[in-house]
Amino acid sequence: MKVGAKIELSAREQLTVFLFAAMATAPHLLHLAPGISTFFIAIIGLRLLALHFPGLLPGRLLLFLLTIGGLANVLAHYPLLLGRDAGVALLISMQALKLLELRRRRDIYVVVFLGYFILVTQFLFRQEMLLVGYVSVALVGLTAMLVQINRATVSERRLAPYTLALALLLQALPIMLVLFFLFPRFESPLWDLGLEQKGAVTGISDRITPGSISRLSRSRAIAFRVDFERDTMPPPALRYWRGPVLWDTDGKSWVQGKKLPGPPDRLLAASNPIPYSVTLEPTPGSWLFALDIPRQTPPNSRLSADFQLTSAQRISRRTRYQASASLNYRTGPLSVNQRQRALQLPDNITVRMRRLVQDWQQRADSQAAVVEQALQYFRRQPFYYTLYPPLAETNPSDQFLFDTRRGFCEHYATSFTLLMRLAGIPSRVVTGYQGGERNPLGDYLIVRQSDAHAWSEVWLPEQGWKRVDPTAAVAPQRIQQSLDPDLIDDFTGAPIVFRNTDSDLLRSFAHHLNWGLDTINASWHRWILGYSKQRQSRLLQLLGLDFLNGNRLALGMVAITGFTVLLLFAIIAYRSRDRIDPTIAAYRQFCRRLAHRGIGRQPHEGPRDYARRVILSRPELGLKVESIVRLYIGIRYGRMDNPENRRRLQRLVADFRP
Amino acid sequence: MRLAARFNRFLRLARPDASGQAKIGGRRIYILPTAQGLGYGLLLLIMLTGSINYASNLGFLLTFMLAGLGLVAIIHTWRNLLAIELSAGRADPVFAGQHACFQLLLHNHRPAARPGVRIALRAGSSAVEDLPPAATSRVRLCLPTDRRGECLLPRLTLSTRYPLGLLRAWAYVELNGSCLVYPQPGPSMPVADAADYDHSRQGDKGVGADDFAGLRPYRPGDAPRHVNWKALAREQGLQTKLFGGDRSERRWLDWSALNGDTETRLSRLCRGVLDACDRQLEFGLRLPGLKIEPARGQNHRHLCLAALARFGRPG
Repeated sequence: MKVGAKIELSAREQLTVFLFAAMATAPHLLHLAPGISTFFIAIIGLRLLALHFPGLLPGRLLLFLLTIGGLANVLAHYPLLLGRDAGVALLISMQALKLLELRRRRDIYVVVFLGYFILVTQFLFRQEMLLVGYVSVALVGLTAMLVQINRATVSERRLAPYTLALALLLQALPIMLVLFFLFPRFESPLWDLGLEQKGAVTGISDRITPGSISRLSRSRAIAFRVDFERDTMPPPALRYWRGPVLWDTDGKSWVQGKKLPGPPDRLLAASNPIPYSVTLEPTPGSWLFALDIPRQTPPNSRLSADFQLTSAQRISRRTRYQASASLNYRTGPLSVNQRQRALQLPDNITVRMRRLVQDWQQRADSQAAVVEQALQYFRRQPFYYTLYPPLAETNPSDQFLFDTRRGFCEHYATSFTLLMRLAGIPSRVVTGYQGGERNPLGDYLIVRQSDAHAWSEVWLPEQGWKRVDPTAAVAPQRIQQSLDPDLIDDFTGAPIVFRNTDSDLLRSFAHHLNWGLDTINASWHRWILGYSKQRQSRLLQLLGLDFLNGNRLALGMVAITGFTVLLLFAIIAYRSRDRIDPTIAAYRQFCRRLAHRGIGRQPHEGPRDYARRVILSRPELGLKVESIVRLYIGIRYGRMDNPENRRRLQRLVADFRP
Repeated sequence: MRLAARFNRFLRLARPDASGQAKIGGRRIYILPTAQGLGYGLLLLIMLTGSINYASNLGFLLTFMLAGLGLVAIIHTWRNLLAIELSAGRADPVFAGQHACFQLLLHNHRPAARPGVRIALRAGSSAVEDLPPAATSRVRLCLPTDRRGECLLPRLTLSTRYPLGLLRAWAYVELNGSCLVYPQPGPSMPVADAADYDHSRQGDKGVGADDFAGLRPYRPGDAPRHVNWKALAREQGLQTKLFGGDRSERRWLDWSALNGDTETRLSRLCRGVLDACDRQLEFGLRLPGLKIEPARGQNHRHLCLAALARFGRPG
């Protein structure tokens, strides 16, 4: 009779194995080359058919040929055989072939181990929480397979292996957490195999046309999150996040133009810098959005002359960086180059624009006053803030200023800048984000794509570069609150209604739920997905373990893991310990002690007979033995079973020294 | 041989207590990874390297989860054997050359089941059982025998790989079990060859009580029951009836009546016993130092065979 690992598998066992192996592989089929998926499905299909028609099972020669074929298939699609995709394709093909020749119990070990490996590779492609849940289910299933094959017979309760697998995994959780948080993290990979990032990324780009920013306003996607130190978060009116600075225009769109040479402008005065840290989602550019005006900047970044903070590499992954900002500042004199560029005018300036500006210049006595005049113009005239202004193709700025008077932040910012240039005041357009929503549950700032904004900066002799936001003149609520994409009306010209904070209970609840989910999401990102060397140092600091660094961290990890493992063992052993009735245990102890003295109890002897025999050979023990035995019989067989008597028996036995 | 004996002394063994039950204590259990367990470790190492290289925190998470799983399996596999009690049951006697089958009792006092427990004899016979909760399971293990006498139950190995097959926990157990092995019966002899049988030297003196065997003149003292009254009525004088039958079929299986060495003689005597039992004859056994009076029946058969089995073996 075949025993143990050599037992052949039943049809049901085989089907279950196929199910979980396929489940572990399935998400890969979505993004691998179709040839690989076809191979996998075809082989599995063949095996399933063979359950009904055993003649279809390939012999050794055919199996060998199929293996070569599988390898050739992988090479055809991934000729270099290097890198993530090729490796996964190879694994999947191996798994398919192993499933084809699955016969005995011991073959399942290979299938399960391959399954575990394939599950790990899932995380190289996607990291959603949903995927983690899916992988967990597959994990339980695969582990249950191992439990199943180590039994002698199939379990009667079908779910028993699954519940045991789940219990084992839950018991392994503390060890996982200790290892995860203490395992040393490396700054760069051991060797570079390139992490391909696929998929479109939205965000601010380095040119705007009328409508480009309004397009972003439909998206609730998170652009970045910001942590400030306790109570230092600036008010909304000062939360301007600087991105691309646009100098050149052709009358319709504004672009960055040539990079400005030189270091950032010197600051003549600045308030105390406020530190903060940003977790930036992948963006198409390399801007590291920084609060106006950046002071301290992160390593590997560059601060340009117009205070644009850019990273050395593309932001293709979630990135964290720290910086600090001064909310109030004064820049110094303007360089010739900058002045020239800041006064560049396009060709399509209309007469009425010139006349408007001349009008202001007459009424004003200083350049600052001209700025004020312009803002008054926006305030007093019937201007509306809307995401869908009427089309103005020929001369957007002119038509916006005089005809339609409906536009979004980019319209206001670009038109205002043009007018300032007309008045001889150097000015530029700055794009980025404004505001952001404070999540009270996590005490951090959420800045979404819908917070994308454009504003203007003018250079005044006494103040240097000064921020002027025309939107604030027309729609001050926009500055104070965030835009809620869901509240935007979709028809032309409709003015934007700003978010009403918690007008009713349901919305308030939904809002809190949203915050709660975002906190969970943010914590997940921060503590698990984005767990890095820096975060680890921070955690160790919090736990008071910051003496563990370098080699000591590795040793510490081993020590703490070992301790956790032993503690876990103790708990498991204690919780499922074999409990003997303490009365019986006491009696056994009593018999054991006598056995040591040569008067052991025979298996067939009852307590009374035994007691009699003991007293015969050792009469001096008579009283003690009698009381113990009488008590024992009374508790076990008589009516004397109560906690007090039990304790008495244990005490008597404990004091019994024959 | 001596090396094995010295090695044995280092082994931690579970021995039976006064009542014949051996309990597996914690310190008696050995535990080591299996080949699959070592493969698992290699797998984890590869996963870890991949996770470091791709800086995949979720990869770390899964790798460490599996590492924890492997560690947790240690205590579960170990505990699967803890506190099992074993005792030896019956072992029916067999003839040399047959398999001696021992019945073993595995007592699981725990309220939980213990699946996948394997018990094995060194000779290679083993059985795997799922021990149900709070119950005793019976297992039958057989050993080939080639010699007569007491076949002692050799050292047992209790092992398990449950739940994940990554580790193997085992314990050695010695139990007081023995199986009596009768000598191998010699070749079957034709009935007519009565050389092995020792008829009663006295022959048939008519002192039996079964079949009518003849008449003789009356002697004073003969039982009145046995007097042939009909013959007397026919004026043939006083005669006594003679009966026999039981005495004439009595056999003695005698050691001294045979030639050959000890084993051959025992073998042929064994054959004699079996044949006699087949024909339901009464027989007795005479061995140097032992005489078993003639009798019939299963018990007598066993007694004689046991005597043959144990002949010359001390204890």
